[in-house]
Amino acid sequence: MGEAEISQPRVEAPVPMRAGVSLKAQHYRTVIDRHPDVGWFEVHPENYMGRGGPPLGYLERIRRDYPLSLHSVGTSLGSHLPVDREHLGALKELVDRFEPGMVSEHLSWSHGREWYTHDLLPLRYTEDALNLVVAHIDQVQEVLQRKILIENPSTYLQFRDSEMKEQDFLVEAARRSGAGLLLDINNVYVSCSNHGWDIEAYLSAIPAQLVGEIHLAGHTVQTLRKGTLRLDDHGSAVCDEVWSLYKDCIQTIGPVPTLIERDSNIPEFTELLGEATVAGQALTAAGEKYEVAV
Amino acid sequence: MKSLSDLQREFCDALRAPGAPSPVLMDELLDDGTAPERFNVYRNNFVVLNGDALADMYPTIRRLIGDEAFRSLANRYVRTHPPESRTLLLYGDRFPGFLESIPELSRLPYLSDVARLEFAWTCAYHAPDAQLLGRDEVASIAAETFTRFGLEPHPSMHCISSDYPAYRIWAANQEEGSEETISLDSGPSHILIVRPGMEVETREVGEGAFLFLQRLQAGDSIEDAFDMAMQSDSAFDLAEFFAHHLFDGTFCALRKPRT
Repeated sequence: MGEAEISQPRVEAPVPMRAGVSLKAQHYRTVIDRHPDVGWFEVHPENYMGRGGPPLGYLERIRRDYPLSLHSVGTSLGSHLPVDREHLGALKELVDRFEPGMVSEHLSWSHGREWYTHDLLPLRYTEDALNLVVAHIDQVQEVLQRKILIENPSTYLQFRDSEMKEQDFLVEAARRSGAGLLLDINNVYVSCSNHGWDIEAYLSAIPAQLVGEIHLAGHTVQTLRKGTLRLDDHGSAVCDEVWSLYKDCIQTIGPVPTLIERDSNIPEFTELLGEATVAGQALTAAGEKYEVAV
Repeated sequence: MKSLSDLQREFCDALRAPGAPSPVLMDELLDDGTAPERFNVYRNNFVVLNGDALADMYPTIRRLIGDEAFRSLANRYVRTHPPESRTLLLYGDRFPGFLESIPELSRLPYLSDVARLEFAWTCAYHAPDAQLLGRDEVASIAAETFTRFGLEPHPSMHCISSDYPAYRIWAANQEEGSEETISLDSGPSHILIVRPGMEVETREVGEGAFLFLQRLQAGDSIEDAFDMAMQSDSAFDLAEFFAHHLFDGTFCALRKPRT
């Protein structure tokens, strides 16, 4: 963790057209000792905002060998409250220190009072919310001096007065701010299923050239009094339906760096590596097809 | 239609409240008859996500009182003291005091001290890194002036004292299946937590060493800190203490004597 280690050369920053995996603390040693064949890793920057210690030390060591993506959960882009400058400053420090290939955040809000919910809460899709989100993305991009990717959320409820479809809101926010999109296929599946939206219509509204990253994760199903609700808990393997949507999607839009995302019930690393291998094969197949088609 | 700011404030208040959300908020939601259940997902997430962070911070407390009791206390804590920081790294700073305020836990008087130890452990984990005190630095000053210097403890250092054997209770619960019986009368404990490298070290020290470190941390010189330590613990052996701890990462620098 000393100066000597920090000054070691590292691999280039850009995230390759391969599958990556969420980097969890349980797997630091495995990744360092076994150097698994993974294209890149992604972390939540908020877990690295301590003043020092093992998380930053391990990330420094792992960054030497792998490209990195920072996937933020704390800027609260859709909040009526201003973006927190201190948090943005901490994010900028991490961006400068770790030179991530990608930086992303969610289309959601988490901060509505003087305290923090630490959840990704749903937005009412209106013009005033769109203006707010665009202003906040602009601010983040200006401080970070780089383009970020915005991720479509998993949601469980809708607001009566929403004026536009989520996919239209998302695409318009990206267009106006110059941001790219992080397309979470599991979230598309979960939200479409929860609200009875048409998945094909959702995906066909997303312009291929905006998509800079794809997320794949597992979810659970909860029974309601009437029907069921899919809950995005990132706590299990990617389900068959999502794999199939993913493969169709990259056949259509071309290969995109893809993350196997896991935040709870963290399994052995080999299990995540297995899913990354499946995604990697699909990316290769889509790449071949795409090259022929283009 | 409510303004965005009113909507988000009311949403937050309803997440935190133990009861059902207000009809005014529910009126803002699209309802096919399942809106209350749908809103409940977010209410549940709020206490579970933040309660999980608390459970990560306090694994020993959870073991001592059991999963169910811990979860119920965590729910109450999250609603009473929702997170005040953008990150969850140090969420739960008021949990030790919260445990003391729970009447049902009064027969476990050591619990809040064990919680203080666990919180300090995580603070040490995320504390700034520092160079450790080197032999060259000590060798560079005249030996007879050494005790007039101060010693800078590592920035990760925390000193926790308890009227109960909090260290032994904590240590016995770090391994599965430990059956050790610890008498609550087995005296107070003085605990030192420090992270010189990647590993947090937790150890029990004598009262003298504990006071000595606390005084050094407060800025005293070695001789002043030693005098204070000796007043409470005349058995404190400074030479023996330095033999073990001067260069083991407990300290990161010499501090020049005040002029």
